[in-house]
Amino acid sequence: MSRPAPVPGHAPGGTPAAKGQAVVGIDIGGTFTDLVCVLADGTLRLAKLRSTPSNPARAVLDAVNHLREAWGVDPASIGRFVHGTTVATNAVIERKGARIGFIASEGFRDLLEIGRGNRREIYDTVLKPQAPVFLAPRHLRRDVPARLDARGSVVQPLDEAALLAAVDELVALDVRAIAIVFLFSFLDPAQERRARELILQKHPQLAVSLSSEVDPAFREYERACVTAFDAYVKPVLDQYLSRMEKGLAEAGVPARLQIMQSRGGVSSAGVARAQPVRLFLSGPAAGAIGGAMTGRAVGRHDLISVDIGGTSCDIALAADGVPLLRSEGSIEGHPVRVAMVDVNAIGAGGGSLAWLDGAGTLRVGPHSAGADPGPACYARGGTEPTVTDASLALGWLDPANFAGGTVALDVDCARAAIRERIALPLGLDIERAALGIHRVVNAQMAEGIRLASIHRGIDPRGFSLVALGGGGGLHACALAEELDIAEVLVPRHPGVLSAIGLLAAPVEHEALVACARPIDGADAADILSRLATLDEACAAAMREEGHAAAYGQHAAAGEGARMAIRHLADVCFIGQSSHVSVPLASGDPSTMLAQLYEDFLAAHERIYGHSSREPARIVNLRSVHGIASGYAHAAATLPGPASDAGAALPARRRAIWLPGAAEPVEARIIDREGLAAGECFDGPALVEQVDTTTLVPSGWTGEVAPGGELVLTRRPR
Amino acid sequence: MSRVTDPVLLEVIRYRLESIVEEMQWSLIRGSFSPVVKEALDASCSLFDADGTVIAQSRSNPSHLGSLVFSVRSILAQYPVSSMEAGDVFIMNDPYLGGTHLPDIALVMPLVVDGRVVAMSASMAHQVDVGGIMAGSVPTHATEIFHEGLRLPALRLAHRGVIDDGLLRLIRQNVRMPDTLQGDLNAQLAAGKIALRRLAETGARYGWPQLGALFTELLDRSEAMTRKALAALPAGTYHYVDYLDNDGIDLDRRIRIEVAVTLDGQGNVAFDFQGTSAQVRGPLNIVPSGVHSAAFYGVRAITDPAIPTNGGCFRPVTVKLPPRSLVNPDAPAPVNGRTPVMKRIASCIVGALAQVLPERFPAASAASVLVLAFGGEWPKDAQAGTHAPSRRFVVTDLINGGSGAALGHDGIDGIATDMTNGMSLTAEVLELEAPIRLLRCAIRADSGGTGAFRGGCGLEREYLVLHGPVSISHRGERHYARAPGLAGGGDGALATSEILRVDGRIETVPSKGMLVLQAGDRLRVFTPGGGGYGPVAERTPEAIAEDLRSGKVTAGMD
Repeated sequence: MSRPAPVPGHAPGGTPAAKGQAVVGIDIGGTFTDLVCVLADGTLRLAKLRSTPSNPARAVLDAVNHLREAWGVDPASIGRFVHGTTVATNAVIERKGARIGFIASEGFRDLLEIGRGNRREIYDTVLKPQAPVFLAPRHLRRDVPARLDARGSVVQPLDEAALLAAVDELVALDVRAIAIVFLFSFLDPAQERRARELILQKHPQLAVSLSSEVDPAFREYERACVTAFDAYVKPVLDQYLSRMEKGLAEAGVPARLQIMQSRGGVSSAGVARAQPVRLFLSGPAAGAIGGAMTGRAVGRHDLISVDIGGTSCDIALAADGVPLLRSEGSIEGHPVRVAMVDVNAIGAGGGSLAWLDGAGTLRVGPHSAGADPGPACYARGGTEPTVTDASLALGWLDPANFAGGTVALDVDCARAAIRERIALPLGLDIERAALGIHRVVNAQMAEGIRLASIHRGIDPRGFSLVALGGGGGLHACALAEELDIAEVLVPRHPGVLSAIGLLAAPVEHEALVACARPIDGADAADILSRLATLDEACAAAMREEGHAAAYGQHAAAGEGARMAIRHLADVCFIGQSSHVSVPLASGDPSTMLAQLYEDFLAAHERIYGHSSREPARIVNLRSVHGIASGYAHAAATLPGPASDAGAALPARRRAIWLPGAAEPVEARIIDREGLAAGECFDGPALVEQVDTTTLVPSGWTGEVAPGGELVLTRRPR
Repeated sequence: MSRVTDPVLLEVIRYRLESIVEEMQWSLIRGSFSPVVKEALDASCSLFDADGTVIAQSRSNPSHLGSLVFSVRSILAQYPVSSMEAGDVFIMNDPYLGGTHLPDIALVMPLVVDGRVVAMSASMAHQVDVGGIMAGSVPTHATEIFHEGLRLPALRLAHRGVIDDGLLRLIRQNVRMPDTLQGDLNAQLAAGKIALRRLAETGARYGWPQLGALFTELLDRSEAMTRKALAALPAGTYHYVDYLDNDGIDLDRRIRIEVAVTLDGQGNVAFDFQGTSAQVRGPLNIVPSGVHSAAFYGVRAITDPAIPTNGGCFRPVTVKLPPRSLVNPDAPAPVNGRTPVMKRIASCIVGALAQVLPERFPAASAASVLVLAFGGEWPKDAQAGTHAPSRRFVVTDLINGGSGAALGHDGIDGIATDMTNGMSLTAEVLELEAPIRLLRCAIRADSGGTGAFRGGCGLEREYLVLHGPVSISHRGERHYARAPGLAGGGDGALATSEILRVDGRIETVPSKGMLVLQAGDRLRVFTPGGGGYGPVAERTPEAIAEDLRSGKVTAGMD
């Protein structure tokens, strides 16, 4: 299947690759592969292809064939090929990572299984494992003499014979990768590096992950987790990326494969496969970039994107046009301490089930109807009402035109489910019950957005809400009202925004070093020299992927002009254990540390609501090198409104129910494809397109931006 | 069923209240200095209505479940709501006036609207030190509460937004690390302010008369659901007896905990502690607030987890506490060592029900957490220099035992169960905070109770003192009484601890004690295993093979 969706016009953001070259983004999901291409003339093309999950080389070939046959793109003219992948995440969720061995300092074999001893569900009496034991069950774990003390001095030298004996045993047990975690290795990686050297001399086929490289920061359990996850997915990713590269070569594409990392920057496949644990949020990161891009296209830089799918609602924030990162995330509840876009998932979406609890209170979720049987309106045997059933019962979805008409919806099934399970027991009519379902699920989402914002010290009221995913458009205005947000943005193509985000992301590398010392009395020259080492590591990665030109004396031209180097320090008050990342202005060494302290106090005050002039210390130093994508704004320009704009709007109307109204209201039904730039309309209206439906309630006004984004504004009351 | 209130708005408000307490809790934990708060989440936040009933509680350590109820009650007794003004802050910690133990300081702040208190925010955090005879303020050898630190009855810490400087100076003068304590109080104040602001916004939107009615309805509904769940359990009285090792003073005298759980089939539950030991000389006595927390935990664990937790859940609960007993001591008995008692009470409550519902509840867990409080000073020249604001250090480590096996599930090794949910220290944090090196942290083989489903194993940990002397408060459990198996499963292994002196001598630690280690001395601890479930003869060959392969069971074991 293919559904080319050409968009005329040109990209105003400048050329992304060398002149005459095409740029391709490919986002491979479980069912569909989203393909976007900016042609040499700046035209944007989009397509959805069937995925071939088992064969990534085939996916590439299919994409290249489509590029050539449908859009006339010569493979040899492809200058960039950027990919967002869920392979790393799926390997964990499906437990299909490599068999790995885990080697720790003597006495710490069980580090990975004991964890920190706390549990997630506090009222459960029958407990489940809380640490990621599946990564390396006990018979695949070893310990060898090798450790440093808290100052980085060697307490136990590496016992090389013991190490090799342990590795031989693990190899005999068929491991394909090894994770090495020695205590305090972040202070001096020599022991771990020597261990790798010895292992690879004897067993060159093994993949080795060192904790001092994956996550050089203190707290050995968290470091062990991320290192073991890295080893677990490394062979899988390596094979996957190799096949993909082979596919590109066979198709005659000269561009190097680039991969989206969790932190929202792309890197070459070569650099990415060295630390695949940085790819867990590859997909959502591209979505967050796409959300930020949507905002930038209409001049908005403080954004909350809400991606609502069938089972979850992913919330991401962007400030100053850049998605916010966090220095530690998690997968299945286990800590993964690498920088990633700060995506907060809530278990609430279109498929969430509505139910009444023992006291007759209306609850929604956390259980979902899933794909089978799906919502009641799919008429596949589901009898419990979902949020989607409520949307249908309220007239917000067109049963004959859902997902471009590919899925027929049964209104009677939806109404019957709501009537039986909710409306009759509560003594409400079906529509009021359906509105109640939306109100409850929106309350969950709104509180989730509020907490996600507050955790970052952000007041959501000054932000714009970006509606993403199939469900974002139905909830966004209600969420905005709940959060006192005045503006909602709906990108032109919410369903393929992740693929578009791939093209807009910078090439980016981060290097980190633990640097525990009080700010007061720290040596600025020492800090600068450590930053210089980090800068060299980033530059090496950049050179490795062919961006050497961004450095050196001619850097001001070309890529160097888009290069940004940022230095950050993770800082906390002495005695505290959670830190704040603060930009480090390394320009003037004489004031650098004093400024850092002041900036830290301000950040602490903003995030935690208090700070005092207590002594503070540095925990880590970070350097981030990024080369901005030339592709700043992927959306093309729409044609202007017809001379008689009012006449251009279709006259279709439908009766729908809205919160607070005693009667159904007549809403205008607008076809998104037919909207021209500059057109305006008032709610109540429904904007329909293949990949989503946007509800514009009474009191809201819609306007079409030049790039096709919908800007919805709440009229002052 | 009441139909007075809108069932949709009710759920909207519930999300709002839960979001407010989570925001409080987040702010408190992130902003605090005390390692026990940061690492062990030993803190909690609640919202109360003007009558002093919990309307929302943060998801924290269950030992804090309802723990603020008695503190708030005590503050209201001293300062009726009619006397409260906007900007007031109340403080207290005295266990005999509704507190828990002295390190837990409660701060309560009223929300005043139109001159009337409409709600209160309350927080409690385990302070790193509140004075007394030992650093950390949890002395195992205390024999009266005066040894345990500074007692604060209900006091007004701030009036109309102005902190009582004299009171603050008095508190600072009586604790070992005044800056750390004030830092944590600041974090509590900030958390409380956030809650009041959010509550005020909510009130402005929905109106206080309506919100008050919704609070009442939320409580009534949780009560109704709890009663329904309790009524579904088999009616009857179920007894359970277990023993704590000793009180840390009279080392040869074990402590009996007896509970009779009575379900009346009408949705009421009573916990009667008749038969429990009389109050003891050492600090293992527990004041009623702690017993109630354990009972509340028991109610939450045996009813539906989907029921929203608030004061309504606890209305069907009656607790009978014999006077002058371990669970209802008279002042000035020492009470700082409440945690093991509270954990064992919770374990006994679940154990009583497991006798009639063995398919639903697990065998006994170790139900104990070994608490090690290390105190001392860094050497003048050798301070790690990265963490400690002063040369003196106080660090607490928490080491769990195994959980009980259940039908279909082996127990989990070294995991927090029942009332506590603390995180152990990592070796790297410990060594940065104190001149102590962790040499070993491992799963303890052969310690889980045998059975068709094996109990969780305990852990072993070995500490080396690098610079002495280091004083260690060692509070263990299950050195003398094993975690029993269920339905034919075996008991978990006993705990043991020993000191390996630098000169080669080995000393056994009798469950509880104040230890002093010099440089080169080592402390090695082995925590207890959980009980097994079902006859071991029914363990599958695959499970046995995996036990042997993992080494969690060695071939030498029967």
